[in-house]
Amino acid sequence: MTTVIMRTTARVVVPIILVVAISLFLQGHNLPGGGFIGGVLTVVAFTLVYVSYNLDYLEIGVLDRDVDPSRAIGEHRTVATYRRLFMFGLGVIVASGLAGPVFGEAFLSQAFVVIHLPLFGAVELASALLFDVGIFCVVVGGLLTIFSVVGAE
Amino acid sequence: MTGTIAIAPVVVALVAGTTTLLARRWPRLQQTVSIGSALAYAYSVALLVRTVVFAPDGAAIAYQLGGWHAPFGITLVADALAVFMLAMTAIVAVYAVIFSVRFIEAANQRVYYHPLFHFLLLGVTGAFLTGDLFNLFVWFEVMLMASYVFVSFYGNSEHTAAAVRYVVLNVVGSALMLLGIGGLYATTGTLNMADMAQQLAQPGVDIRPVVGLSAFVFVTFALKAGLAPFQFWVPSAYRSAPIPIVAIFVGATKKVGIYAIIRLYFTVFGTANVTVAAPGITGRSPLVLLAPVLLTVGVLSVLVGGFGAVTRDSLDGLFAYSSIGQLGFVVIPLGIAAAAPSESLRQSGILAALVFALHHALTKSVLFFSTGVIRDATGTTRLSELGGIGKRSPAFAGVFLVGGLSLIGIPPLAGFFGKLFVFNAAARQFAAATSGDIAATGSALAILLVLLLGAVLTVLYSTRAWMGSVWGHETEAVAMGTIDRVEVTVLATLAVVVVVVGVGFEPVYHFADAAARAAIDTEAYTEAVGVGGG
Repeated sequence: MTTVIMRTTARVVVPIILVVAISLFLQGHNLPGGGFIGGVLTVVAFTLVYVSYNLDYLEIGVLDRDVDPSRAIGEHRTVATYRRLFMFGLGVIVASGLAGPVFGEAFLSQAFVVIHLPLFGAVELASALLFDVGIFCVVVGGLLTIFSVVGAE
Repeated sequence: MTGTIAIAPVVVALVAGTTTLLARRWPRLQQTVSIGSALAYAYSVALLVRTVVFAPDGAAIAYQLGGWHAPFGITLVADALAVFMLAMTAIVAVYAVIFSVRFIEAANQRVYYHPLFHFLLLGVTGAFLTGDLFNLFVWFEVMLMASYVFVSFYGNSEHTAAAVRYVVLNVVGSALMLLGIGGLYATTGTLNMADMAQQLAQPGVDIRPVVGLSAFVFVTFALKAGLAPFQFWVPSAYRSAPIPIVAIFVGATKKVGIYAIIRLYFTVFGTANVTVAAPGITGRSPLVLLAPVLLTVGVLSVLVGGFGAVTRDSLDGLFAYSSIGQLGFVVIPLGIAAAAPSESLRQSGILAALVFALHHALTKSVLFFSTGVIRDATGTTRLSELGGIGKRSPAFAGVFLVGGLSLIGIPPLAGFFGKLFVFNAAARQFAAATSGDIAATGSALAILLVLLLGAVLTVLYSTRAWMGSVWGHETEAVAMGTIDRVEVTVLATLAVVVVVVGVGFEPVYHFADAAARAAIDTEAYTEAVGVGGG
């Protein structure tokens, strides 16, 4: 799959996918979108890089690090990071769920404030976004771990 | 915030799953956290049981998740039926965790064993507590995700084959369930179970599509419960999964299927008014249609499980088939309850099913753990390679005997009351049917005879398991192995629980009776959820 056409397309498409993913992620608590779909789209962008270049490209070409070919894919630094991302996300989800009872509200209950920033105008800050961050991390971390480990086999 | 206790088991399991995942690098800490969380889980369930059932003003508790009120938000409902199931799960879960720490190899425990265990528990807990039909589907999926990993846990080709079978069947099941739930939502306009019960109870509602659509959902529940003819996945999955997990499968996951059938049909659809005029059955409730289905499925399970167990040549295969048969003993009284013309017979049918389910969860856990001890010591579970364990470890033989006798149904063990109530319900149905026409009498008699045959088969295969492994000449495999004392001690305490449930049956009966009453008391359920009168 690592043809010139594929690589060129990936170069154009990946940034667009990432921007769409972020915008879907940010509007999730009010409109269609959210942590899950944003996370899945982000994973699509990463997978496109994997498919059009190769599994080590992210580490060697983008992050400029060495890859020890003798180590199993599960021990690569990127994959270890994905796993940590997954755990971090799970932690965020549990913590944001438990925040409700701490403030005397129901489990998983949410709140929001509207603040006024220069240039941006009224911006809504919702606690649901924090929960979404957790989901986003779980989805990205989990799926990328699976894709890179299964992809290496 | 009222009713916070209702969500406690869910939160405990969720936090446990996350913390054991975070503590992955420190195996000791992870094990301690895992056991501690299981105990905390049991404690939270015990509190819930006390508040809902044994307190003087005990009543069902509802918890509106995230502060969104029913019927728009997701409600968790802890009524007597749900907490009965939770109590059963909690006992098995505590023992499974303690047994795992000893039984599963240290390297395997580090492969996400403990986090997955608690997520499995989370799925089961959520499924018991939720009052929302779609949320039930989600909890089923949570439960299944963890189960998939456990079935393929050891990763050999046979385990993978079992896992593929399990995944394919359950994906088809989930798709059907989703289809059914979607259809129910389209026809009733609500997913909240209490609200749905109210909508259906109103006069002039056309319930026929609901009855048809619920068949999709029923198939999935039967698949989860491993009832014949949906039992294909059971033997191979049980032989592949780690043994402590099999105890959870038997004690909790299968019971989720049974619970869902009781909750959806008896609590939600039970109040609906429909004129049934199928050949041979008449009545004014969808339950009447369900009764022959449940009875057929139950009879099939008893026969398939019983004959399958008698012909197996390994202990785990034998107990896997036995659990199919025993689930038949749970479903037949449910079928009797569904067909029951009177409220009291309906209640005693559900009561029989619940008591038997509790007995089966405890007894089968003892037997599966015993199988684990044997495999740990000898490296095999084939009956032809076993024998004479009784001479090597009388203590273990004693535990195994308690499990076997309880399975057969010898007083005063837990199994005795299980069988007693099932036969009581069947006999009462027979007595009620003798005044009716010849077909009703015949079918009631047939059910009684199948139950008897099932009981005889149970005696047969329990004896076979006992003779094949504990008695007889000491084989090479047994002579080489050593029985783990710690495992036997843990098991012995569980055997004591089996005895205690049988001897001190009074409070257990009270509990199960409250659960059976809650199962058919739709009004109390809707009132607890807070959609009553609206």
